[in-house]
Formats: sequence, C-alpha cells, structure tokens
Amino acid sequence: MEYNNLSEYEQDLFLCGRCGDCSLADKIVASGRDVFHPCSVKNVLGFEVFACRGRIMVLNDLLTGELEVDDDIINWAYTCTTCRNCQETCTATADGIRLPEIMEAFRKDLVEAGYQLEKHEKIEKSINELGNPYKEQHDKRLEVFGDREWPEKADVVYFVGCTSAYREKEIARTTVDLLDRSGVNYTVLEDERCCGSVLLRVGRTDAFAALSQHNIEKIKESGAKTVVTSCAGCYRTWKVDVVEQGHEYDFEILHITEYLDKLIQDEKLSFEAPEPIKVTYHDPCHLGRHAEVYEAPRRVIQAVENVELVEMETNKRYAHCCGSGGGVKSSFGELANKIAADRVHEAEDTKAEILVTACPFCHKGLVDGAKHSASSMKILDLPEFLMAYVKEGKKKSKAAEHPLKTKFMKYLRKHPLIFDGLKKDAIIDYEIEGERFHVHVLDKGEIEVVPRRSENPDVELIFSPAAVEKLTSFKNEEEYAAQFGLFFKEPTEEEWIKFNLRRNIVKLLMKGYRKFAQKAGLI
Amino acid sequence: MSIIKSSQTHPLYKDLVKIVGEDRVSDSRVVMSAYSKDACHLTAERPEVVVMPETLDEIKSIAKICNSTKTPLVPAGGRNGICGACLPRIEGAVMLDMVKMDEIVEINEDVMTVTVEAGLRWAELIHRLDEKGYKLGFRGPYGGNAGTVGGSVSINSIGYAASKFGPSTEGVVSLEVVLANGDVITTGSGWNKDAPIFARYTTYNDITGLFLGDHGTLGVKTKVTLKIYPKADYFTYGDFGFTSLEDASQAFLEVQKLGFTEELNLLADRQSTDTFFPGFLDKHPEIKSMFASVVQEVDAQLAQRKMEIIREIALKHGGKDLGNFASQMHWSELFNLVQPLYNNGFWLNTCHLRPIPKIPALMDRMWAIFEKYQLLENGIKWIASCLGAERAYATGWVTIFAPNKEKMELALKAWNEMLDSVIETKGCPYWNGLLWEKRALKQTDQKFLDTYWTVKKALDPENILSPHVFEGGF
Repeated sequence: MEYNNLSEYEQDLFLCGRCGDCSLADKIVASGRDVFHPCSVKNVLGFEVFACRGRIMVLNDLLTGELEVDDDIINWAYTCTTCRNCQETCTATADGIRLPEIMEAFRKDLVEAGYQLEKHEKIEKSINELGNPYKEQHDKRLEVFGDREWPEKADVVYFVGCTSAYREKEIARTTVDLLDRSGVNYTVLEDERCCGSVLLRVGRTDAFAALSQHNIEKIKESGAKTVVTSCAGCYRTWKVDVVEQGHEYDFEILHITEYLDKLIQDEKLSFEAPEPIKVTYHDPCHLGRHAEVYEAPRRVIQAVENVELVEMETNKRYAHCCGSGGGVKSSFGELANKIAADRVHEAEDTKAEILVTACPFCHKGLVDGAKHSASSMKILDLPEFLMAYVKEGKKKSKAAEHPLKTKFMKYLRKHPLIFDGLKKDAIIDYEIEGERFHVHVLDKGEIEVVPRRSENPDVELIFSPAAVEKLTSFKNEEEYAAQFGLFFKEPTEEEWIKFNLRRNIVKLLMKGYRKFAQKAGLI
Repeated sequence: MSIIKSSQTHPLYKDLVKIVGEDRVSDSRVVMSAYSKDACHLTAERPEVVVMPETLDEIKSIAKICNSTKTPLVPAGGRNGICGACLPRIEGAVMLDMVKMDEIVEINEDVMTVTVEAGLRWAELIHRLDEKGYKLGFRGPYGGNAGTVGGSVSINSIGYAASKFGPSTEGVVSLEVVLANGDVITTGSGWNKDAPIFARYTTYNDITGLFLGDHGTLGVKTKVTLKIYPKADYFTYGDFGFTSLEDASQAFLEVQKLGFTEELNLLADRQSTDTFFPGFLDKHPEIKSMFASVVQEVDAQLAQRKMEIIREIALKHGGKDLGNFASQMHWSELFNLVQPLYNNGFWLNTCHLRPIPKIPALMDRMWAIFEKYQLLENGIKWIASCLGAERAYATGWVTIFAPNKEKMELALKAWNEMLDSVIETKGCPYWNGLLWEKRALKQTDQKFLDTYWTVKKALDPENILSPHVFEGGF
C-alpha cells in the first residue's frame, strides 16, 4: 500500500521520543499545567496503542512494512477523536507531534487505497446527495425554525450546521432566539449545505471543495460581512480547513460564543439567573484546541449575574475530549459514550449543577454519556443555557476598569519597544489583582493592547500592584526591562512578578522570547 | 470493549482472559507494536501478549500460570526508560503493563511514608501528596510524567532532587513483591504481619535492597512504600558560571558535599548550555561551564542563607553570578525538561554515575569524540549535564541528538565510542538494560555475577521473570 499522505509526516514520526506524556502525564502540580492523562480514548480502552505514542509506533511499523493494513488497523485508525490533546501536551517539537493531522493523512491513504468503513461511505453519499450526513431531506433543513421567512440579504448570516438543523434542534432555535433578542440584522441561508467537516476528519476529501465553494457563494449572495455558527465543527472548518484548502472569503467567521461576547460587551444582551447557580464548562476540541477560543465562552457564562463558573480539573487547552469527534461517535458509539461518561464524571467532581458546552456534537455526546453512566448532570449548550436567563429591560453596564490595569495598558501602548524582538503574533497576557489584559505583537514593531484576557497567550505574567506602580514610573524601556528582571530575580513581598509558560519552550524561542528575556536581564 | 481483535494464538491467552477478562488482555500484533520500544532506539523481542492487571491477586495468578508453563513474564511500568530495560529478550513473553495499578494505598502521617501501587506515575504521586501538604524526597526521573514508581526503583532511576535525597531507590522503605511462584512478600518492617510499614532496616537483613534495581528479574513489585516530607514553601535559586570545567566541578563538589541543594545541575560546556537554554550565555563569552542550584526549605531565611553560602563557594572558585533564571526554569518545568530537546533530534544517551572530580576526564574524552566525528558540522548537538546525587557523586548525562534518520548512522558511531569512554573513565551505569549490559558485563567481577545468579535461581528456578536480562543478549 502507498502511504503518500502519511509519508509527509516522517520527521514527526522520527522525532517522537516516546516519553509517554501524551498517554500518562499528570502535569497539574509538577509543572502547573492542567494536563491529566490526555488521551480520552486510551483512558477507556487501556492499551498504549490508542495513545499518541503507541499510534506513532504502529504508523512507523506500517511504513517499514513490519505491519500491514488489515481490519484491525482500519478500526484502530478510526478510534482517534483527533482531539489534539496529545499534541498540546507534547513538548517534543514546537507544535507538538501533530497526531490529528497524521491520523487524517493516514485515513486519506486508507481511503485512496480503497479501505473504508461502510458507515463513512454512507455519510459521504448522504452529503453528496442531500447536503447533510444524516440522510435527511435538504428542503427540511430550515423546518427547525417553523415557517419563518428569511431575508435574502443581511449583515450577519447564522450558519446553522447539519447537526443543529436536524438533530440538536434546540441549539438552532435558542441561537435564533438570542439573535432576535439582540436586534441584529441577520438571516440564515435557504440553501446551506454541510460544511464538510466530517468528511475531512475521516479522510474523504473529494467533496469538500464543492461544498465550500457552494456555501461561500451563498454567503456572498447574502451580502453578509459576518458569519456566526453555533457548531464548533463548522467553526473550525470555516476558520481553519476552508482556508488551508485554498478557498478565499472576505467575511468574518465567529462562533456564537464570540458573537454573544461582543453583543454583551456592546450592552445589547444581558442575563441574570434568579438564584445563585454553579456551572462548569466543557471546551469543545474544535472550538478550543483547533481554533483557540477558550475565553469568550467563559466571559459569556460569567456575564450571567448569579452564575459562578467552576473549572474542571482538565480545562481549556488540556480539556479532555467528549469522545464524539474524528468520526468516533458514528463508528464506535459505545466507546464515545464511555469517553463522554468520563467527562461528565469530571464535571460532577466540580459540584456544578449544570455542564455547559458550545457544540452540538459535544452536547449530544455528553448527554449520551450521562445516560450511559446514569448521571443526573444537567447538560446544556450555551445558547440554550443563556435563553433561560435573558434579562429584560435595562442591560448590564460594564464594570469600571481597575485603575492600575488602565495605567499599565496605557504605559505599554506608549512603549512598544519593550516588545522589540518578539515576532508577529506573540501574545503576552497580563494579570493584576485578577484583572486581565493582553499585548498582541503586530507587524513592524507595532503592538495592540487589548483590555481582556487572551484566548491563546504564549506567556501569562502576574504582577503585584506595587510592581506595576514602579514599572510604569520608568521613562524608557531599558529601565523598565532592568526592573522587570530584578522583580523576577529578587522578588520582595510587595514587589514581584510571576509567570506561567503557556507554550512549550521550543515554540517560545521561535517566537523571539530569547531576546525579550535577555533585555529583561533574565539571561 | 475490544476494538482490535486478539489473535488468540498465544498459548496462555485464554488463561489470562480467565484471570483479568477479555478487555485487559491482547495478543494482537497491532497492540504489540505499541509495546515494542521504550524511549530509546534499541530493540529486542516484542512481547507476544500484554496484560493490564488491576489487583495483586491477578498478578499472583498470572505469575503462577507463567511459572507452571515456564512462560516468560516481563513487568513494565511507563515504558519511557531509555535503556530498553522493559523489553523482553525472548520470544513468547507475557508483558505486564502495570499502569492500571496506580492507587495511593496509604499516606501514613505518623511515620511519614506513602504506600503506592507500583504502576503510579511520579508526577501524579506528587500531585496527590501536594494536596495533603507533603512532598517526596526523590521526585522521580526526568521522565516522571509517565515513569512509574515501580519501574524506577527496578532500574535504579535517578533524577529530580537526587542532590539531597539520592536516587529513586534511596527513598524506598518497603516493597510488596510477587515472586515467580505467585507467593507474595512484604519487605522492611512488613516481615511482621501485625506491624505497620515504617522502617526498611529491621530485625533481618535488607531484603528490600535485593529487589531494588533487579530489572524485573527477581519478582514483580506491586507496592512501594516511600519516605515523605512536609511540603516546604520557600525556594531560592542560583546560577553560577565558570571559565573552566575544572573550576565548575570543584565548586559543584563543594556545594554537593554540604547537602543544601534539592537539585544541583552542572552543564559541562557552552554547547550544552546553549542546547538547553539557547542564548543564556550570550552576554558571558568567558563562561565555559555553569551550574544551576535549587534550595527548598520550610523557612525563608534558611533558604536564603543556604543560597548565600552556595554563592560564596561559587565565587571562591572563580565563579560568576548569572542570576537565577535557568534554575527557576529548571525547577518550574519539572518533568518537562527533556522533551523539548527531542526537537534537536532523536537522542542517544550515556547515562551513568561517577565521582564529581572525574567529570573533566570524561569530558576530555567526549570533546575529542565530538571533534573526531564533526558532530556540530553534521547538525548533531549534544548536552553534557551532571546532576549532583546524594553526598558527593554525580550523574554523567552526555547525550547527542541525531537530527534525522540520515544522520543516525554517524551519531551511532560516535555514541558507541562515548559509551566505551564512560566505562574507561571509571563510570558506573545506574541502570543496565540493552544500553549498557554488554559493556557492564565485561567489567563485572565473576564472583559478583555468580552471587546474583545463585539468588536468581533460588527465587525463580524456572527462570520466568525477565529471562536473559544481565546475560548480554541483543
């Protein structure tokens, strides 16, 4: 068999040092990351062959001819949820060993060689013929919204997605309800088709281009400048895959969590729970690790008055997968249910009353997982959760900004040379007494100081108030840098700086942090 | 739930299924592939069936059936060692994947011990102890995210906090071991079935020590009792550079003798520092060698004073204060230091122990080899790092990185000469395994070996436990 796609990853397959972090690591205390046994598939099935390290060994055996493709290999290939938790955990290369891409490349080789799961053939046929993977009639796609008439033109398009349109209908309905309440000028596409995500995930790429082109065309016809989706799978596909496959579009893609975050900031929506309630949030892999949206959903949940957000032991970049991704739920339903049950148990450990997520696949998977383990945990998708708490009348006003945060942001804006040497898209998150903002390095020495926590910082810096007062008193960058280094090397009870690295060291060096550390006198 | 079907061809497959159930046994070639290597490049035989036991009783039953059928039995922990210790040397082996035996059995606050199942990983143990306000002495090997307690003490692993507490085996109070015939013994004060486990050396000789470092040849460790300490919240850090490795080694020895440091790590040359912390020495062109030191104490003044003394020693030997960034990074990235080095290529290591004054002699030999094979010109980087270990010796970690498959052959040539040099300059490997066995055997006194084999024959007459280990095969 030819491994034309897999062979492109030979260097990754060589560089895996088999340290086993992807399989067994607990980094919660030892190195301050929320990693705990990252592979949710291996956690259920047990054997090493299901974790990244084992998969790399099998793939190397296939490339050398030690193993040959058979039914076991085909089944094994489709047990990876491609959730990317192993890759985020991996520190062996700048990006981590890219197992999701590697597995998808291998699946592509399997399909090209004629090996496939019958189920996947049927899904592709359904998408080609009906525009959705569920064998549902295309003209019934918008029935979820009743007999409502949709305008042909609008500022915003709500891209519903197949799962919300045909299976998780409450997500579609509540999303529309929220958009209605916000007064946004929006529409949905009369002829929306599958985004193609499921095909890419299982290695069947032929139909993807036509689907993307069709949807882009329809969105263009609507005149919308913003496309909002409530599906994490669609979001990742639009944001990452469509672009990577060479399709161009000039509209902005937002997940509903990002869009609601904006609407709340703009005081167009506000929410209030009648009683204090504790909720936890499950990061969908396609929204989090694949598209790096972690904070927007949290900000939205925290914007609901009387709601306390509590985190699960693994969260954000290292959150366990719900088990539904990568075609696993359609191919191995029992496995998916067990993985989801594990995630629901994690949520139960927080003592939260509601588990909120932001993806129809995750929602369906988690609900099935809860049933599988007889859990009574209430599981809601974010729009559904919010709809119960829409606040009528006066919208919540923004809280006043911490004066030191304002002062520090102003100071950094005036002194972009502090960040000289950092490469484009380096992001540093700042925290002073729980208040957050971040600096985003742009092109040509410019920086953007954004008054909220970053979705995907390289480094998080935590400052004592006295340290900020002193740092912002310096007139030039050299003095600032020298004092910054001193606070780190010789902290006092009053004046100190702490930091958390959020990317691996190799990646940080590639982004220019060596020069930054040298200027600060750290090295 | 089996997604990959077992071939059911291993003679013990059905017996093993009876013991642990179908979901925790596999003899599929696909599953075996994932157990065919540890974290080094060396290979031996693949296991032919893997079992994931969850209880002592299951292991007893597995040992009995293996013993009665003379089937090789090989225990394996996190399988991220770098000497091939967990790989079978013989066909037909049953491998025990121990990672499901990962419970904390007891934290005994009266006698300051923790008893864990042997498959528990070090990082996870640290996490659970931290929640209770305790810390370990030895923290685990540098691969402690996946490395298990049982695996480490079976191969004399060394790593974090060895400077103060010695290697993994020094912290062991007692072991629960399943013998080849399925019998179980508990060592240390565990000989007294009515007494708690609180001491290693009581009443009889040190049976615990017999099983430590046995590479799985004398029994299957199922529980390990370790010493614990109150969590100490005060840290001080110091990095010191020297213009010669000789000066650095002398200062390093003097600091290590004091026993102040939780961790003391020497980087032997500029290339090593640059591979570990790129750019760290850019502003210090005169510095050839450096060490990073970490002090952890229950009192802030105590931690500060100790670091002042360390600094005084470093300066006395001509050292330069380089701040504390490297040592802070080193400690905050616990168990994550080695993996980013893979970015330089697949690693070939020479891990061993040696007296600290013998470090410069080793490096003279190593530098000559690096030059002979023009490693840097061929894109092969290295790290020569020495970790202080209890009282006054050190590890010698000289590792080279083959950046791609094409450079592997050249790297292997250099590496083989490096291994010879370690032995010729009187180093002693701490683990053995495929990595060291042939070279170690050449140096081993025959009476020492005969004694080991007498013990082995007495405990494992059918030679089922990790057979052919210490024989120099592969």
